Amino acid sequence: MRIRPLFFLIAFFPALAQSYRAPKLANGQPDLQGIWQAQTTASYDIEPHAARLGVPAGTGIVVGGEIPYKPEAAAKQQQNFQNRATADPNNKCFLPGVPRANYMPLPFQIFQTAKDVAILYEYVHAYRLIRMDGSKHPDDVDFWMGDSRGHWEGDTLVVDVSNNNDQTWFDASGNFHSDALHVVERYTRTGLDTISYEATIEDPKVFTRPWKISLALYRRPEKNLQLMEYDCYAYEESSK
Amino acid sequence: MKTILLGLFLLTTAFAQTPGPQETAIEKPAAKVGPMPRGADGKPDFQGVWEVRNPGGAAAYDVEDHLKAVYGIPPGKGVIVDPKDGKIPYLPAAAQRKQDLVAHHMYDDPEAHCFLSGIPRQVYAPFGFQILQPANNVVFLFENFHAYRVIPTDGRPHLPADIKTFDGDSRGRWEGDTLVVDVTNQNDKTWFDMAGNFHSDAIHVVERYAPVDANTISYRATIDDPKTFTRPWTIAFPITRIVRPGYEIMELACVEGERDLKHYTEGEGGANKK
Repeated sequence: MRIRPLFFLIAFFPALAQSYRAPKLANGQPDLQGIWQAQTTASYDIEPHAARLGVPAGTGIVVGGEIPYKPEAAAKQQQNFQNRATADPNNKCFLPGVPRANYMPLPFQIFQTAKDVAILYEYVHAYRLIRMDGSKHPDDVDFWMGDSRGHWEGDTLVVDVSNNNDQTWFDASGNFHSDALHVVERYTRTGLDTISYEATIEDPKVFTRPWKISLALYRRPEKNLQLMEYDCYAYEESSK
Repeated sequence: MKTILLGLFLLTTAFAQTPGPQETAIEKPAAKVGPMPRGADGKPDFQGVWEVRNPGGAAAYDVEDHLKAVYGIPPGKGVIVDPKDGKIPYLPAAAQRKQDLVAHHMYDDPEAHCFLSGIPRQVYAPFGFQILQPANNVVFLFENFHAYRVIPTDGRPHLPADIKTFDGDSRGRWEGDTLVVDVTNQNDKTWFDMAGNFHSDAIHVVERYAPVDANTISYRATIDDPKTFTRPWTIAFPITRIVRPGYEIMELACVEGERDLKHYTEGEGGANKK
């Protein structure tokens, strides 16, 4: 049963992406604005996984199903999984990193101006300012959310995410990366209320080859919906 | 990994390097700057990167006059323009609570714990912010604690009153060229500054952002809280554009690198762990 949904994701979404043309803003940019949310169990585990206590089963978002870890990295992932209750950075309310922020079970909002695309996440009020001016990534500085520079390829927003630190995980199951992580994201409208989100993940210290994730983002249609405040650390502190 | 560490210690260091208010007034621009640009909708276009320098920057320490250096905090002028004496019009019980916070609870400064700063403190917290004006919204992206504010200008109602948040719920409207922001739904956990000035969850803030010239916004905020103050009071200071070419706001991750609470020790400003 695992094969079919994966087949759907891989085979059907590109077809949709090609047939639908995104509406345009006044400045001609494809319109990605709105409040969006993933509907997936990937925040628990991006690989296909059976249900366990508190975790629903899911087919995962890794194209091909398996992350191509180097042998020593696979062992580290196993260790992370065993220690996940305390080792998962999200359990400390830390910034989730990219791409994990995009499939947390909380909404995020995309704003576009003439110069920038901004993604504001409800989760720990993380945000990314995606600079669209052709500028380069900075040197010698790492960020939890990385450094995002974007451009348009047709109707697709392509974001190059560099300057990532080695502290974030891909999910709550210990899937991880090093500070050599390089992510290239592709956001493509596939309908009035859907975006196809794909990301290519490269990290030669941890993986044998680049690999991809693919999932759908859905528009939250509620009237007057807004991002709420989730200041995770404040609740953790006051519960001590 | 170069995580940025932040807390009182670093804040103090950062401010100590900027000119004090007794040394400079607002920096005079070298060349005359034009008016604030306008967007396609005809409204002032505040987009860009901004910061609150002195005199407003001193508010991060104390919104009232603080002419004597204490706890390593440099002296500075307050930002209260009403009432005229520059003092917060506390109710008697609230004035006592403030004294108690100063004497015993400096450790509890919410910003030292990396909590969101609340409004107006978020505005004059150090390190600057970027304003975006996508359709129907004004968006503030703060470097400090990666806080953001989404201010809808489409006339939608506030959140239900029972939902309290650190940074509150902001609704904007234009009165001529002035962006007026109504801020409700704030909790009682934030302070105005590092000097223990506080409020209750009845706080209601009305901010006014008015263009002065292309590089200056006049900021005024009127603060009302009948549980804490005898009357509404108002702060005012300029917000200044950062014109350095290529300047970008960065990520300031606070929770992730917090190492500074330990600097709050007995004898240094009565900073006791409660």
